[in-house]
Amino acid sequence: MEFGPIFRAAIRHRARTLLIVVQVALSLAIVANCLSLIRNFKGYMTHESGFDDDNLVWIVSEPFSPAFKEDAYQIASIDDDVRRLSAIPGVRAATTTGFLPWAGGGSSGEVRVVGGPAIKFRTQWYGADPHVFDTLGVRIIRGRNFNAQEYEASAERRTQFSIIISKALADLIFPHEDAVGKRLEDPDRLEVYTIVGIIDKFYSPYGGWPIDEYALFMTDRNFTYLVRAEPGKAAGLVPVIERTLLRANDGRNARVKTVHELRSDYAYGYQLAVMPLNFVMILLVVVTALGIVGTTSFSVAERRRQIGTRRALGATRQAILRHFLFENWLVTTVGILLGLGLAVALNIGLVTLVEGAKIEWPILAAGVVLLWTVGLLAALGPALRAAQVPPAIATRNV
Amino acid sequence: MLKMENVTKLYRTGLVETRALRDFSLVVEEGEFVTITGPSGSGKTTFLNVAGLLDAFEEGKYWLDGLDVSRHTDRDMSRIRNEKIGFIFQSFNLIPDLNVFDNVDVPLRYRRLPAKERRERIERAVAQVGLTSRLRHFPSQLSGGQQQRVAIARVLAGDPKLILADEPTGNLDSGMAREIMDLLDEINHGGATVVMVTHNSEYAARAHRRLHIADGRLVDLERITPLPLNRLTGEARQAAVPAG
Amino acid sequence: MLTYNLRLAWHSVKRNPMLTALIVTGIALGVGVATPALTTIHVLGQDPIPQRSGVLHYVRMDSWDPAVPYPGRGGIPTQITYRDMREIMKSRIPVRQTADFQAALYVYPGDRRQRPSRETVRMAFSDFFPMFDVPLRYGSGWDKAADAKPEAVVVINDDLNIRLFGGGNSVGRIVRIADRDFRVVGVLAPWRPRTLFYDPTNSGGQPESIFMPFNWIEPMEIRSNGQRDGWKSMEGNPTYVERLHGSETVFLQMWVDLPDPTRARAYHEFLDAYVREQKKFGRFQRPLDNRVTSLSSLLAEWQAVGPIFKAIATISVLFLIVASLNLIGLFLGKFLARAPVVGIRRALGASRASIFLQHLIECELVGLIGGALGLLISVGVLSLLNKGSERLTHRPDLFQLDVTMVLAAFLLSLAAGAIAGIYPAWRICSIPPAQHLKNQ
Repeated sequence: MEFGPIFRAAIRHRARTLLIVVQVALSLAIVANCLSLIRNFKGYMTHESGFDDDNLVWIVSEPFSPAFKEDAYQIASIDDDVRRLSAIPGVRAATTTGFLPWAGGGSSGEVRVVGGPAIKFRTQWYGADPHVFDTLGVRIIRGRNFNAQEYEASAERRTQFSIIISKALADLIFPHEDAVGKRLEDPDRLEVYTIVGIIDKFYSPYGGWPIDEYALFMTDRNFTYLVRAEPGKAAGLVPVIERTLLRANDGRNARVKTVHELRSDYAYGYQLAVMPLNFVMILLVVVTALGIVGTTSFSVAERRRQIGTRRALGATRQAILRHFLFENWLVTTVGILLGLGLAVALNIGLVTLVEGAKIEWPILAAGVVLLWTVGLLAALGPALRAAQVPPAIATRNV
Repeated sequence: MLKMENVTKLYRTGLVETRALRDFSLVVEEGEFVTITGPSGSGKTTFLNVAGLLDAFEEGKYWLDGLDVSRHTDRDMSRIRNEKIGFIFQSFNLIPDLNVFDNVDVPLRYRRLPAKERRERIERAVAQVGLTSRLRHFPSQLSGGQQQRVAIARVLAGDPKLILADEPTGNLDSGMAREIMDLLDEINHGGATVVMVTHNSEYAARAHRRLHIADGRLVDLERITPLPLNRLTGEARQAAVPAG
Repeated sequence: MLTYNLRLAWHSVKRNPMLTALIVTGIALGVGVATPALTTIHVLGQDPIPQRSGVLHYVRMDSWDPAVPYPGRGGIPTQITYRDMREIMKSRIPVRQTADFQAALYVYPGDRRQRPSRETVRMAFSDFFPMFDVPLRYGSGWDKAADAKPEAVVVINDDLNIRLFGGGNSVGRIVRIADRDFRVVGVLAPWRPRTLFYDPTNSGGQPESIFMPFNWIEPMEIRSNGQRDGWKSMEGNPTYVERLHGSETVFLQMWVDLPDPTRARAYHEFLDAYVREQKKFGRFQRPLDNRVTSLSSLLAEWQAVGPIFKAIATISVLFLIVASLNLIGLFLGKFLARAPVVGIRRALGASRASIFLQHLIECELVGLIGGALGLLISVGVLSLLNKGSERLTHRPDLFQLDVTMVLAAFLLSLAAGAIAGIYPAWRICSIPPAQHLKNQ
């Protein structure tokens, strides 16, 4: 194709060329950043937690009867609850724990290595019984689970604890060694925590601190429970669980919710944000396409005489079509190159607002392909019309 | 070179049918310089469009350089236009976005010639019309006469056998017009057949033959100067006198 | 001249309805997307309590760990400790002051058929009600004497009022909370503020069901149900009250009413003097950093408008710009087709400026038509947004167009018209008149 003349002609018609270049550039910049934001939000929504989220049910026991003032009564009630929950048909495992996946927060604390440097590590921090890992669906990859004695010991005051931590936390604190058997302590050195086991996966977003993957479990009883249902049964178990618990003890309220519902609550905000972004992207592509159609049509109409002359000089219809498509491709490509720069610049500003929305090559590539396609399709109509211009126009003298 | 037999061209606008060319027959020998005069609306432009394969026709036959070009695909007609015909238009029809070099280049590009040959042809043609110093100028920077000379260079670069000129001096003052006519003579002496539509009787008189169109028909046939000699044999060629 | 140009513009608009419709649609889309986005920012950034946001001040002190700063916003703890609160509340400098936090207690309805429910409780001082303009329907808050005793009185919200007493004036009725009876002295009017401005740690929450005098915290051993942060454990086995007085855990929000700069300065000096005293006892080992921030500054500092909204709003406005740019081609085509007419006008004496103005006015007219349509689209988009976000905002009508936003839409449509029209108008007025008159 006649790159030279087409390029030189496009430069001559600065305004017409610049219009499409700027339209394409801005569209690419916006589309790329929208995609980036959407990917970031979707990431929050679909992040793997490593747990069996879809089958988990969360229960809160809210005791109000005065009988619950006694420690022994509390312990007995909790143990009874866990037993009854495990016995419900359709339940694979039940546990008492202060941990709730996808809560967006929870409890956290700091630890340091016994005898090590004064570096403190902050981690999510929960109490549970030995069934918690079965219930969540995570594996203990090193060491062992809690045993019954360790669980019973939680009823008393203690300063020595057995803990199980997530692999991410183990790698953080002991990057080159086996963490099992190592001892940690609280910053004021009042308690000692011995690592007896490590679980493979843990992810629960925690606002305020960057500790989404760090977890520390110790044995403890709680008035909150998690139940793992057999696949598909979670929603149906909700009323059954409530009935079972209230029948066991009427001096408390029982609130039951599936983790799936909690998770969708958590994700809802992001879902809401994704919609306008999708909407704007589609509108933008449509508007840009229409703009290119308009500008190219105008350009073709302006050059009818020229087209006729070219045909008179021997250009076939295909040659005219190729000419306009190539010219459009050239201008679109310049726009895309400019757009790449604009996309990155816009993204730098965007990232100050939404951290995770940094742009990456696959997204830029997707935007480039999209705009090339849109540019081509938009120019096709006017280019086809250009090809139909009759050569006889050249001899017309009006 | 050019032979038309009973060509009829119709224009249909709504329910009205106009015959722009009626039963038109004409023979132009190779190397002739023929002018065509006629009132406006007589069909001069239509004849040029048909002769130059710019437009199709409904009835009749047309031979160009021995080849029957009456019914051809657009692709073939474009190729023939490109290789065998050169146009010179009244309004020059240079492409305003391109400089002189690129304008002359246009038909050569469609012939897919290699860059080196194109450049040689362009430079030679532009030199022949005396505009080498303006090679990189744009049409808006040239006078009317210079623009028409560029158009002629565009024709020369392609070295076609038939040149169709539509009032080539119509938009020029007399001084420039004479220059253009001299150039056309030069081209004709080089062996190309020239068919020129014109209003101007002075220029029309410079031709070998002068034709007149009225109402879509060829009316007068006037031999002005002797036929050109056949370049190979040196013999004068016979003029074919068509009936009607 | 303006009316003449408007008339010309109107005729031109009518003459080519298809093209005009296309341009109007483009602008309408742009305005219809940008206006709702800007509305969300406008609504979320609004001062929730403008009559007080200048005088209400939030107290923060850096009692945190000397080894590492508090990881939250501002780099210092967002709340204060119990022991510090007790000391600084002794100051007489603020006109009014309150410390408060959220707890959760069980309410035992008189009607035995109803199950006890766990309700949110705001433990606060009597000044809380006037300071935050809490809307009361029946009765009132309690007084300073009730603060001190503390008296067994509460203020309840309208929802709890309906559940316990069926609605109506329940002042004087008794409600059992936790382990004792409380007398209702006030009932709130329905109150759904867009943001819980008195609790910066829980700005997305809703007002509590019960308001109770703060000093019940010790006799009833009431624990915070909200955000609690600590960096230091206590030795031994302290009782709850001992823990309150000795711990470095922050869980209280402290508000003071400082109506003039003199008082504000004096209070700041008071705080600084207190912290310096405490340093002698080994506390407050971080550099002195007390902040007494007005509510309006706090809202600005803590970005009441989430960054996500700002990101979406930026993209929406950029979309408007792109949509307008895309219309340039259409205007160009429209204007240049009229070149001969313009040529005649110029030949008859119209200046370049007047041609430019005439066409620019036409662009703005189309812009305004598009803007009006865009406003309609905005209303639709906002109602969709309201429906979708109700789950998060607890209000079905949070995002509304007000006068400011309608004005903004008006300006946006003028801007769109300008962006789309300036170049074409300049092109049409720049062509020399003679060129139009030739027949080529």
